[in-house]
Amino acid sequence: MTAEEILQQIQSRFSEEIRTAEVRRGEACLTIKGDRHFEICRFVKEELGYDYLNCLSGVDWPADEEMEVVYAVSSLKRPGKILLRVRVPRKEPFLLSVVPLWRTADWHEREAFDLFGIRFENHPDLRRILLPEDWIGYPLRKDYQDERFIAYPWDDRKPGGVPRPTSA
Amino acid sequence: MTTVNLQLQQIKERAAETMEEMWVNMGPQHPSTHGVLRLLIKLDGEVVRECIPYMGYMHRCHEKIGENRSYVQIIPYTDRLDYLASMYNNWAYCLGCERLMEIQIPERAEYLRIIIGELQRIASHLIWLGTFGLDLGNFTIFMWCFREREMVLDLFEAVSGQRINYSFMRIGGLALDVPEGWLADVKAFLAWLKPRFAEYDRLSTDNVIWQKRIQGVGILKPEDAISYAASGPMLRGSGIQWDLRRDDPYGIYDRFDFDIPIGTSGDVWDRFWVRRREMEESVKIVEQGLRDIPPGPVLAPVAKKLRAPVGDIYSRVESPRGELGHYLIADGSEKPYRYKVRAPTFVNLSALPVMLPGCLVADAVAVLGSIDIVLCEVDR
Repeated sequence: MTAEEILQQIQSRFSEEIRTAEVRRGEACLTIKGDRHFEICRFVKEELGYDYLNCLSGVDWPADEEMEVVYAVSSLKRPGKILLRVRVPRKEPFLLSVVPLWRTADWHEREAFDLFGIRFENHPDLRRILLPEDWIGYPLRKDYQDERFIAYPWDDRKPGGVPRPTSA
Repeated sequence: MTTVNLQLQQIKERAAETMEEMWVNMGPQHPSTHGVLRLLIKLDGEVVRECIPYMGYMHRCHEKIGENRSYVQIIPYTDRLDYLASMYNNWAYCLGCERLMEIQIPERAEYLRIIIGELQRIASHLIWLGTFGLDLGNFTIFMWCFREREMVLDLFEAVSGQRINYSFMRIGGLALDVPEGWLADVKAFLAWLKPRFAEYDRLSTDNVIWQKRIQGVGILKPEDAISYAASGPMLRGSGIQWDLRRDDPYGIYDRFDFDIPIGTSGDVWDRFWVRRREMEESVKIVEQGLRDIPPGPVLAPVAKKLRAPVGDIYSRVESPRGELGHYLIADGSEKPYRYKVRAPTFVNLSALPVMLPGCLVADAVAVLGSIDIVLCEVDR
Protein backbone atom coordinates (compact mmCIF):
# COMPACT_ATOMS: atom_id res chain seq x y z
CA MET A 1 0.00 0.00 0.00
CA THR A 2 1.58 3.26 -1.06
CA ALA A 3 1.29 6.55 0.77
CA GLU A 4 -1.12 7.86 -1.89
CA GLU A 5 -3.45 4.91 -1.40
CA ILE A 6 -3.37 5.39 2.35
CA LEU A 7 -4.26 9.06 1.94
CA GLN A 8 -7.07 8.13 -0.42
CA GLN A 9 -8.52 5.60 1.99
CA ILE A 10 -8.52 8.04 4.88
CA GLN A 11 -9.86 10.84 2.71
CA SER A 12 -12.72 8.79 1.30
CA ARG A 13 -13.75 7.74 4.80
CA PHE A 14 -13.30 11.02 6.69
CA SER A 15 -13.36 13.67 3.97
CA GLU A 16 -14.92 16.34 6.18
CA GLU A 17 -12.42 15.96 9.01
CA ILE A 18 -9.31 16.55 6.95
CA ARG A 19 -7.82 20.00 6.63
CA THR A 20 -4.71 19.23 4.60
CA ALA A 21 -3.31 16.05 3.12
CA GLU A 22 -0.09 15.55 1.23
CA VAL A 23 2.59 13.00 0.49
CA ARG A 24 6.10 14.11 1.45
CA ARG A 25 9.24 11.98 1.17
CA GLY A 26 7.00 9.02 0.45
CA GLU A 27 5.01 9.48 3.65
CA ALA A 28 1.41 10.43 4.18
CA CYS A 29 0.99 13.64 6.20
CA LEU A 30 -2.44 14.75 7.34
CA THR A 31 -3.84 17.60 9.37
CA ILE A 32 -7.19 16.75 10.90
CA LYS A 33 -9.76 18.39 13.13
CA GLY A 34 -9.98 17.49 16.77
CA ASP A 35 -13.53 16.19 17.14
CA ARG A 36 -13.27 12.80 15.43
CA HIS A 37 -9.54 12.24 15.64
CA PHE A 38 -9.96 9.15 17.83
CA GLU A 39 -12.01 7.45 15.12
CA ILE A 40 -9.39 8.31 12.52
CA CYS A 41 -6.67 6.93 14.77
CA ARG A 42 -8.68 3.75 15.26
CA PHE A 43 -9.17 3.47 11.52
CA VAL A 44 -5.44 3.91 10.95
CA LYS A 45 -4.62 1.31 13.56
CA GLU A 46 -7.24 -1.34 13.00
CA GLU A 47 -8.01 -1.12 9.30
CA LEU A 48 -4.78 0.15 7.82
CA GLY A 49 -2.68 -1.94 10.22
CA TYR A 50 -0.51 0.84 11.61
CA ASP A 51 -0.20 -0.68 15.06
CA TYR A 52 2.99 0.99 16.25
CA LEU A 53 2.87 4.53 17.65
CA ASN A 54 6.39 5.85 17.28
CA CYS A 55 6.03 9.28 18.70
CA LEU A 56 3.46 11.69 20.02
CA SER A 57 4.48 15.28 20.38
CA GLY A 58 2.75 18.49 21.21
CA VAL A 59 3.36 21.71 19.31
CA ASP A 60 2.32 25.20 20.28
CA TRP A 61 1.11 27.60 17.58
CA PRO A 62 0.29 30.83 19.41
CA ALA A 63 -0.02 32.74 16.11
CA ASP A 64 -2.97 30.53 15.11
CA GLU A 65 -4.32 30.35 18.68
CA GLU A 66 -4.00 26.58 18.39
CA MET A 67 -2.16 23.64 19.87
CA GLU A 68 -1.20 20.65 17.84
CA VAL A 69 -0.60 17.02 18.65
CA VAL A 70 1.44 15.07 16.11
CA TYR A 71 1.15 11.29 15.96
CA ALA A 72 3.86 9.46 14.05
CA VAL A 73 2.51 5.97 13.44
CA SER A 74 4.06 3.10 11.57
CA SER A 75 3.71 -0.59 11.07
CA LEU A 76 6.18 -3.33 11.87
CA LYS A 77 5.34 -5.07 8.62
CA ARG A 78 6.47 -2.44 6.13
CA PRO A 79 8.57 0.70 6.06
CA GLY A 80 6.92 4.09 5.94
CA LYS A 81 5.03 6.17 8.44
CA ILE A 82 1.97 8.35 8.70
CA LEU A 83 2.15 11.77 10.32
CA LEU A 84 -1.22 12.73 11.79
CA ARG A 85 -1.48 16.27 13.06
CA VAL A 86 -4.47 17.24 15.15
CA ARG A 87 -5.28 20.85 15.92
CA VAL A 88 -7.14 21.95 19.05
CA PRO A 89 -7.94 25.47 20.25
CA ARG A 90 -5.22 26.87 22.47
CA LYS A 91 -7.66 28.15 25.09
CA GLU A 92 -9.29 24.75 25.54
CA PRO A 93 -6.68 22.15 24.61
CA PHE A 94 -8.81 19.06 25.16
CA LEU A 95 -8.33 15.92 23.14
CA LEU A 96 -9.40 12.30 23.51
CA SER A 97 -6.61 10.04 24.71
CA VAL A 98 -5.40 7.30 22.38
CA VAL A 99 -4.19 5.05 25.21
CA PRO A 100 -6.94 2.48 24.43
CA LEU A 101 -5.36 2.06 20.99
CA TRP A 102 -1.66 2.26 21.78
CA ARG A 103 -0.56 1.78 25.38
CA THR A 104 2.67 3.63 24.69
CA ALA A 105 0.64 6.83 24.37
CA ASP A 106 0.29 6.81 28.16
CA TRP A 107 3.66 8.39 28.92
CA HIS A 108 3.78 10.42 25.73
CA GLU A 109 0.47 12.04 26.61
CA ARG A 110 1.59 12.65 30.16
CA GLU A 111 4.64 14.38 28.75
CA ALA A 112 2.55 16.52 26.40
CA PHE A 113 0.33 17.41 29.35
CA ASP A 114 3.37 18.18 31.48
CA LEU A 115 5.17 20.42 29.01
CA PHE A 116 2.28 21.84 26.93
CA GLY A 117 -0.76 21.58 29.17
CA ILE A 118 -2.80 19.60 26.66
CA ARG A 119 -5.55 17.69 28.47
CA PHE A 120 -6.14 14.17 27.27
CA GLU A 121 -9.60 13.00 28.22
CA ASN A 122 -10.05 9.36 29.28
CA HIS A 123 -6.35 9.10 30.06
CA PRO A 124 -5.91 6.58 32.91
CA ASP A 125 -3.47 8.64 34.96
CA LEU A 126 -2.89 12.15 33.65
CA ARG A 127 -0.32 13.86 35.84
CA ARG A 128 3.06 15.48 35.41
CA ILE A 129 5.82 13.09 34.45
CA LEU A 130 9.09 14.97 34.06
CA LEU A 131 8.50 18.09 36.13
CA PRO A 132 7.69 18.15 39.85
CA GLU A 133 4.00 17.99 40.67
CA ASP A 134 3.95 21.54 42.03
CA TRP A 135 5.49 23.14 38.96
CA ILE A 136 3.61 26.16 37.64
CA GLY A 137 3.19 26.61 33.91
CA TYR A 138 3.95 24.57 30.82
CA PRO A 139 7.55 25.16 29.69
CA LEU A 140 7.33 24.20 26.05
CA ARG A 141 4.59 26.72 25.31
CA LYS A 142 6.07 29.54 23.32
CA ASP A 143 4.91 32.21 25.77
CA TYR A 144 6.33 30.48 28.85
CA GLN A 145 8.41 32.90 30.85
CA ASP A 146 11.21 32.12 33.21
CA GLU A 147 13.72 34.53 34.69
CA ARG A 148 16.51 32.34 33.34
CA PHE A 149 15.42 33.03 29.74
CA ILE A 150 15.86 36.80 30.07
CA ALA A 151 19.16 38.04 28.73
CA TYR A 152 21.36 40.03 31.08
CA PRO A 153 20.92 43.77 30.51
CA TRP A 154 24.61 44.54 30.71
CA ASP A 155 26.94 44.41 27.79
CA ASP A 156 30.08 46.49 28.18
CA ARG A 157 31.42 45.48 24.79
CA LYS A 158 28.91 47.64 22.98
CA PRO A 159 28.88 51.45 23.10
CA GLY A 160 26.12 52.57 25.40
CA GLY A 161 25.82 49.14 27.00
CA VAL A 162 25.33 48.75 30.71
CA PRO A 163 28.68 47.80 32.30
CA ARG A 164 28.86 44.43 34.01
CA PRO A 165 28.84 44.83 37.79
CA THR A 166 32.14 43.87 39.40
CA SER A 167 32.16 41.79 42.52
CA ALA A 168 33.37 43.64 45.58
CA MET B 1 1.39 20.93 49.96
CA THR B 2 4.92 20.12 48.87
CA THR B 3 5.68 17.32 46.50
CA VAL B 4 7.34 15.20 49.16
CA ASN B 5 4.40 15.50 51.54
CA LEU B 6 1.96 14.77 48.76
CA GLN B 7 3.80 11.64 47.80
CA LEU B 8 4.16 10.57 51.41
CA GLN B 9 0.43 10.96 51.80
CA GLN B 10 -0.12 8.82 48.71
CA ILE B 11 2.16 6.14 50.11
CA LYS B 12 0.29 6.19 53.43
CA GLU B 13 -3.08 5.99 51.75
CA ARG B 14 -1.94 3.13 49.65
CA ALA B 15 -0.40 1.32 52.62
CA ALA B 16 -3.68 1.60 54.46
CA GLU B 17 -5.48 -0.34 51.76
CA THR B 18 -4.20 -3.68 52.93
CA MET B 19 -2.32 -5.28 55.76
CA GLU B 20 -0.11 -7.69 53.87
CA GLU B 21 1.04 -5.64 50.91
CA MET B 22 3.26 -2.65 51.27
CA TRP B 23 4.67 0.07 49.08
CA VAL B 24 8.44 0.33 48.99
CA ASN B 25 10.63 2.90 47.31
CA MET B 26 13.43 1.59 45.16
CA GLY B 27 15.62 4.54 44.38
CA PRO B 28 16.15 7.37 43.52
CA GLN B 29 19.51 6.48 44.99
CA HIS B 30 19.94 2.84 44.18
CA PRO B 31 22.95 1.36 42.41
CA SER B 32 20.90 -0.73 40.02
CA THR B 33 18.82 2.15 38.68
CA HIS B 34 21.84 3.37 36.67
CA GLY B 35 21.03 6.96 37.42
CA VAL B 36 18.26 8.53 39.42
CA LEU B 37 15.05 6.64 38.89
CA ARG B 38 12.52 6.00 41.59
CA LEU B 39 10.34 2.93 41.46
CA LEU B 40 7.43 2.75 43.82
CA ILE B 41 6.91 -0.97 44.22
CA LYS B 42 4.01 -2.75 45.85
CA LEU B 43 5.31 -5.82 47.59
CA ASP B 44 3.45 -8.87 48.74
CA GLY B 45 6.11 -10.52 50.84
CA GLU B 46 8.96 -10.68 48.39
CA VAL B 47 6.84 -10.64 45.25
CA VAL B 48 6.31 -7.47 43.25
CA ARG B 49 2.64 -6.81 42.60
CA GLU B 50 2.72 -3.38 41.03
CA CYS B 51 5.26 -0.80 40.00
CA ILE B 52 5.02 2.93 39.40
CA PRO B 53 8.12 4.61 37.98
CA TYR B 54 8.85 8.24 38.82
CA MET B 55 11.42 10.05 36.75
CA GLY B 56 12.43 13.57 35.90
CA TYR B 57 15.21 14.04 38.45
CA MET B 58 17.57 15.04 35.65
CA HIS B 59 15.05 16.91 33.55
CA ARG B 60 16.57 19.97 31.93
CA CYS B 61 14.01 20.57 29.17
CA HIS B 62 16.40 19.61 26.43
CA GLU B 63 13.71 20.42 23.88
CA LYS B 64 13.30 24.01 25.07
CA ILE B 65 17.06 24.46 24.99
CA GLY B 66 17.02 23.14 21.44
CA GLU B 67 14.34 25.58 20.37
CA ASN B 68 16.56 28.45 21.51
CA ARG B 69 19.70 27.27 19.72
CA SER B 70 20.62 27.12 16.07
CA TYR B 71 20.67 23.77 14.29
CA VAL B 72 24.43 23.38 14.66
CA GLN B 73 24.49 24.48 18.30
CA ILE B 74 22.19 21.62 19.28
CA ILE B 75 24.76 18.95 18.36
CA PRO B 76 26.74 19.11 21.65
CA TYR B 77 23.50 18.89 23.62
CA THR B 78 22.59 15.63 21.91
CA ASP B 79 25.74 14.06 23.40
CA ARG B 80 24.25 14.53 26.83
CA LEU B 81 21.10 12.56 26.07
CA ASP B 82 22.41 9.04 25.89
CA TYR B 83 25.94 9.54 27.12
CA LEU B 84 26.83 5.88 26.51
CA ALA B 85 26.13 6.23 22.79
CA SER B 86 26.91 9.87 22.06
CA MET B 87 28.11 9.21 18.55
CA TYR B 88 24.82 7.64 17.69
CA ASN B 89 22.88 10.58 19.10
CA ASN B 90 24.98 12.97 17.02
CA TRP B 91 24.27 10.86 14.00
CA ALA B 92 20.54 10.62 14.64
CA TYR B 93 20.19 14.37 15.05
CA CYS B 94 22.40 15.26 12.09
CA LEU B 95 20.57 12.76 9.92
CA GLY B 96 17.24 14.34 10.83
CA CYS B 97 18.55 17.77 9.88
CA GLU B 98 20.07 16.46 6.67
CA ARG B 99 16.78 14.89 5.66
CA LEU B 100 14.99 18.11 6.48
CA MET B 101 17.45 20.26 4.54
CA GLU B 102 17.98 17.61 1.84
CA ILE B 103 21.75 17.53 2.17
CA GLN B 104 23.67 14.71 0.56
CA ILE B 105 26.75 13.70 2.52
CA PRO B 106 30.00 12.38 0.99
CA GLU B 107 30.54 8.68 0.54
CA ARG B 108 33.51 8.49 2.92
CA ALA B 109 31.51 10.19 5.63
CA GLU B 110 28.73 7.62 5.21
CA TYR B 111 31.20 4.78 5.70
CA LEU B 112 32.93 6.45 8.63
CA ARG B 113 29.57 7.09 10.27
CA ILE B 114 28.70 3.42 10.01
CA ILE B 115 32.09 2.29 11.32
CA ILE B 116 31.94 4.75 14.21
CA GLY B 117 28.27 4.05 14.88
CA GLU B 118 28.79 0.31 15.08
CA LEU B 119 31.86 0.71 17.28
CA GLN B 120 29.64 2.83 19.50
CA ARG B 121 27.05 0.08 19.54
CA ILE B 122 29.71 -2.40 20.62
CA ALA B 123 30.89 -0.04 23.37
CA SER B 124 27.34 0.59 24.53
CA HIS B 125 26.44 -3.11 24.61
CA LEU B 126 29.71 -3.86 26.40
CA ILE B 127 28.95 -1.37 29.14
CA TRP B 128 25.45 -2.79 29.33
CA LEU B 129 26.75 -6.34 29.65
CA GLY B 130 29.22 -5.26 32.31
CA THR B 131 26.79 -3.32 34.46
CA PHE B 132 24.12 -5.95 33.99
CA GLY B 133 26.63 -8.48 35.30
CA LEU B 134 27.23 -6.15 38.22
CA ASP B 135 23.48 -6.07 38.91
CA LEU B 136 23.51 -9.85 39.04
CA GLY B 137 26.59 -9.96 41.25
CA ASN B 138 29.06 -10.96 38.56
CA PHE B 139 31.88 -8.52 39.08
CA THR B 140 34.45 -10.11 36.80
CA ILE B 141 32.50 -9.57 33.61
CA PHE B 142 32.14 -5.92 34.56
CA MET B 143 35.92 -5.52 34.61
CA TRP B 144 36.40 -7.48 31.40
CA CYS B 145 33.79 -5.57 29.44
CA PHE B 146 35.17 -2.26 30.60
CA ARG B 147 38.60 -3.30 29.40
CA GLU B 148 37.35 -3.58 25.81
CA ARG B 149 35.10 -0.56 26.05
CA GLU B 150 38.13 1.44 27.07
CA MET B 151 39.76 0.51 23.77
CA VAL B 152 36.77 1.85 21.85
CA LEU B 153 36.97 5.05 23.87
CA ASP B 154 40.65 5.34 22.97
CA LEU B 155 39.75 5.00 19.30
CA PHE B 156 37.11 7.71 19.66
CA GLU B 157 39.52 9.90 21.55
CA ALA B 158 41.91 9.62 18.63
CA VAL B 159 39.29 10.91 16.18
CA SER B 160 37.47 13.51 18.27
CA GLY B 161 39.67 14.36 21.25
CA GLN B 162 36.86 13.41 23.64
CA ARG B 163 36.10 10.24 25.51
CA ILE B 164 32.37 10.50 26.20
CA ASN B 165 30.77 13.60 24.68
CA TYR B 166 32.22 13.57 21.21
CA SER B 167 30.17 16.12 19.21
CA PHE B 168 31.97 14.63 16.26
CA MET B 169 29.25 14.51 13.62
CA ARG B 170 28.21 17.58 11.71
CA ILE B 171 25.21 18.37 9.58
CA GLY B 172 26.62 17.34 6.24
CA GLY B 173 29.18 14.78 7.39
CA LEU B 174 31.87 14.64 10.04
CA ALA B 175 33.93 17.31 11.74
CA LEU B 176 37.24 15.79 10.68
CA ASP B 177 38.64 12.89 8.76
CA VAL B 178 40.08 10.12 10.92
CA PRO B 179 43.82 10.33 11.64
CA GLU B 180 46.30 8.30 9.65
CA GLY B 181 46.47 4.70 10.71
CA TRP B 182 43.19 4.85 12.59
CA LEU B 183 41.44 2.33 10.36
CA ALA B 184 44.31 -0.12 10.97
CA ASP B 185 43.83 0.45 14.70
CA VAL B 186 40.15 -0.42 14.34
CA LYS B 187 41.12 -3.60 12.53
CA ALA B 188 43.53 -4.51 15.31
CA PHE B 189 40.85 -3.83 17.90
CA LEU B 190 38.39 -6.12 16.13
CA ALA B 191 41.03 -8.84 15.99
CA TRP B 192 41.43 -8.45 19.73
CA LEU B 193 37.71 -8.28 20.43
CA LYS B 194 36.51 -11.32 18.49
CA PRO B 195 38.04 -14.00 20.75
CA ARG B 196 36.79 -12.08 23.80
CA PHE B 197 33.16 -13.03 23.13
CA ALA B 198 33.97 -16.62 24.04
CA GLU B 199 35.47 -15.33 27.29
CA TYR B 200 32.31 -13.37 28.08
CA ASP B 201 30.29 -16.48 27.31
CA ARG B 202 32.25 -18.47 29.83
CA LEU B 203 31.30 -15.93 32.46
CA SER B 204 27.71 -15.34 31.38
CA THR B 205 26.05 -17.56 28.80
CA ASP B 206 27.55 -20.83 30.04
CA ASN B 207 27.26 -19.85 33.67
CA VAL B 208 24.46 -21.82 35.35
CA ILE B 209 23.89 -19.15 37.99
CA TRP B 210 23.53 -16.55 35.26
CA GLN B 211 21.10 -18.76 33.34
CA LYS B 212 18.93 -19.52 36.36
CA ARG B 213 18.89 -15.90 37.37
CA ILE B 214 17.46 -14.50 34.14
CA GLN B 215 15.62 -17.23 32.27
CA GLY B 216 11.85 -16.88 32.40
CA VAL B 217 12.00 -13.58 34.29
CA GLY B 218 10.40 -10.30 33.21
CA ILE B 219 8.53 -11.60 30.20
CA LEU B 220 7.33 -9.05 27.67
CA LYS B 221 4.84 -10.59 25.28
CA PRO B 222 5.11 -9.61 21.60
CA GLU B 223 1.69 -7.94 21.57
CA ASP B 224 2.64 -5.90 24.64
CA ALA B 225 5.95 -5.00 23.05
CA ILE B 226 4.12 -3.57 20.03
CA SER B 227 1.45 -1.85 22.08
CA TYR B 228 4.08 -0.23 24.28
CA ALA B 229 6.15 0.55 21.18
CA ALA B 230 9.21 -1.11 22.64
CA SER B 231 12.14 -0.95 20.28
CA GLY B 232 15.65 -2.21 19.82
CA PRO B 233 16.74 -5.31 21.75
CA MET B 234 13.55 -5.11 23.84
CA LEU B 235 11.40 -5.65 20.76
CA ARG B 236 13.70 -8.20 19.18
CA GLY B 237 13.98 -10.09 22.46
CA SER B 238 10.22 -10.59 22.24
CA GLY B 239 10.69 -12.37 18.94
CA ILE B 240 9.84 -9.59 16.49
CA GLN B 241 12.41 -9.22 13.79
CA TRP B 242 12.43 -5.47 13.30
CA ASP B 243 15.56 -3.45 12.91
CA LEU B 244 15.50 -0.02 11.32
CA ARG B 245 18.94 -0.62 9.87
CA ARG B 246 17.38 -3.25 7.63
CA ASP B 247 13.68 -2.38 7.56
CA ASP B 248 13.84 1.39 7.10
CA PRO B 249 17.47 1.84 6.09
CA TYR B 250 19.24 5.12 6.65
CA GLY B 251 22.77 6.07 5.66
CA ILE B 252 24.12 3.24 3.54
CA TYR B 253 23.08 0.31 5.74
CA ASP B 254 21.35 -1.30 2.79
CA ARG B 255 24.79 -2.15 1.34
CA PHE B 256 25.82 -4.18 4.37
CA ASP B 257 25.15 -7.79 5.10
CA PHE B 258 24.29 -8.69 8.67
CA ASP B 259 21.85 -10.79 10.65
CA ILE B 260 19.24 -9.60 13.09
CA PRO B 261 19.24 -11.81 16.16
CA ILE B 262 15.89 -12.30 17.85
CA GLY B 263 14.72 -13.99 21.02
CA THR B 264 11.91 -16.45 21.48
CA SER B 265 10.14 -15.88 24.77
CA GLY B 266 10.77 -12.22 25.55
CA ASP B 267 12.39 -12.76 28.93
CA VAL B 268 15.50 -11.11 30.34
CA TRP B 269 17.64 -13.90 28.92
CA ASP B 270 16.45 -13.15 25.38
CA ARG B 271 17.24 -9.49 25.71
CA PHE B 272 20.70 -10.38 27.02
CA TRP B 273 21.29 -12.85 24.23
CA VAL B 274 20.10 -10.45 21.53
CA ARG B 275 22.54 -7.80 22.70
CA ARG B 276 25.35 -10.26 23.08
CA ARG B 277 24.91 -11.46 19.49
CA GLU B 278 24.35 -7.97 18.13
CA MET B 279 27.90 -7.17 19.12
CA GLU B 280 29.13 -9.88 16.77
CA GLU B 281 26.92 -8.53 13.99
CA SER B 282 28.36 -5.07 14.58
CA VAL B 283 31.85 -6.51 14.22
CA LYS B 284 30.77 -7.92 10.85
CA ILE B 285 29.43 -4.53 9.74
CA VAL B 286 32.60 -2.69 10.79
CA GLU B 287 34.73 -5.21 8.92
CA GLN B 288 32.71 -4.70 5.74
CA GLY B 289 33.00 -0.95 6.20
CA LEU B 290 36.77 -1.15 6.60
CA ARG B 291 36.96 -3.25 3.47
CA ASP B 292 34.96 -0.88 1.24
CA ILE B 293 35.71 2.59 2.56
CA PRO B 294 36.69 5.00 -0.23
CA PRO B 295 38.94 8.06 0.09
CA GLY B 296 37.51 11.53 -0.31
CA PRO B 297 36.08 14.45 1.64
CA VAL B 298 34.10 13.90 4.85
CA LEU B 299 32.02 17.07 4.95
CA ALA B 300 29.57 18.23 2.31
CA PRO B 301 29.78 21.91 1.37
CA VAL B 302 27.13 23.39 3.65
CA ALA B 303 26.41 26.96 4.60
CA LYS B 304 27.80 28.33 7.87
CA LYS B 305 24.35 29.52 8.91
CA LEU B 306 22.04 26.64 8.24
CA ARG B 307 18.39 27.32 7.58
CA ALA B 308 15.88 24.59 6.98
CA PRO B 309 12.97 25.04 4.58
CA VAL B 310 9.53 25.24 6.17
CA GLY B 311 8.27 21.78 6.98
CA ASP B 312 8.49 18.98 9.48
CA ILE B 313 10.02 15.56 9.66
CA TYR B 314 10.05 12.56 11.94
CA SER B 315 13.40 10.89 11.42
CA ARG B 316 14.36 7.68 13.19
CA VAL B 317 17.45 5.54 13.56
CA GLU B 318 18.28 2.31 15.35
CA SER B 319 20.39 3.44 18.28
CA PRO B 320 21.91 0.79 20.59
CA ARG B 321 18.86 1.18 22.82
CA GLY B 322 16.19 1.21 20.16
CA GLU B 323 14.39 3.64 17.96
CA LEU B 324 15.83 7.10 18.47
CA GLY B 325 13.55 9.55 16.73
CA HIS B 326 13.75 13.27 16.16
CA TYR B 327 10.68 15.25 15.29
CA LEU B 328 11.73 18.60 13.86
CA ILE B 329 9.56 21.47 12.69
CA ALA B 330 11.33 24.18 10.72
CA ASP B 331 9.88 27.63 10.19
CA GLY B 332 12.59 28.84 7.83
CA SER B 333 14.76 30.42 10.51
CA GLU B 334 18.10 29.32 11.95
CA LYS B 335 16.45 27.60 14.89
CA PRO B 336 14.02 24.70 14.87
CA TYR B 337 10.49 25.75 15.75
CA ARG B 338 9.95 22.48 17.55
CA TYR B 339 12.55 19.91 18.44
CA LYS B 340 11.31 16.70 19.98
CA VAL B 341 13.39 13.69 20.91
CA ARG B 342 11.72 10.31 20.97
CA ALA B 343 14.04 8.68 23.46
CA PRO B 344 14.11 4.87 23.13
CA THR B 345 14.63 4.20 26.81
CA PHE B 346 11.80 6.53 27.84
CA VAL B 347 9.41 4.42 25.79
CA ASN B 348 11.02 1.10 26.75
CA LEU B 349 10.82 2.00 30.42
CA SER B 350 7.07 2.55 30.10
CA ALA B 351 6.73 -1.21 29.58
CA LEU B 352 8.29 -1.92 33.00
CA PRO B 353 4.95 -1.94 34.87
CA VAL B 354 3.79 -4.91 32.76
CA MET B 355 7.04 -6.83 33.11
CA LEU B 356 7.55 -6.56 36.84
CA PRO B 357 4.38 -7.95 38.45
CA GLY B 358 5.04 -11.48 39.67
CA CYS B 359 8.81 -11.05 39.92
CA LEU B 360 10.82 -11.26 43.11
CA VAL B 361 12.45 -8.08 44.34
CA ALA B 362 15.87 -9.43 43.45
CA ASP B 363 14.65 -10.12 39.93
CA ALA B 364 13.29 -6.60 39.63
CA VAL B 365 16.91 -5.48 39.46
CA ALA B 366 17.57 -7.89 36.59
CA VAL B 367 14.43 -6.82 34.71
CA LEU B 368 15.25 -3.15 35.11
CA GLY B 369 18.82 -3.79 34.01
CA SER B 370 17.65 -5.63 30.92
CA ILE B 371 15.89 -2.51 29.61
CA ASP B 372 19.28 -0.79 29.41
CA ILE B 373 18.04 2.54 30.66
CA VAL B 374 20.01 5.75 30.55
CA LEU B 375 18.24 8.21 32.77
CA CYS B 376 19.71 11.29 31.08
CA GLU B 377 17.81 10.24 28.01
CA VAL B 378 14.62 9.33 29.86
CA ASP B 379 14.48 12.68 31.64
CA ARG B 380 15.86 14.83 28.83
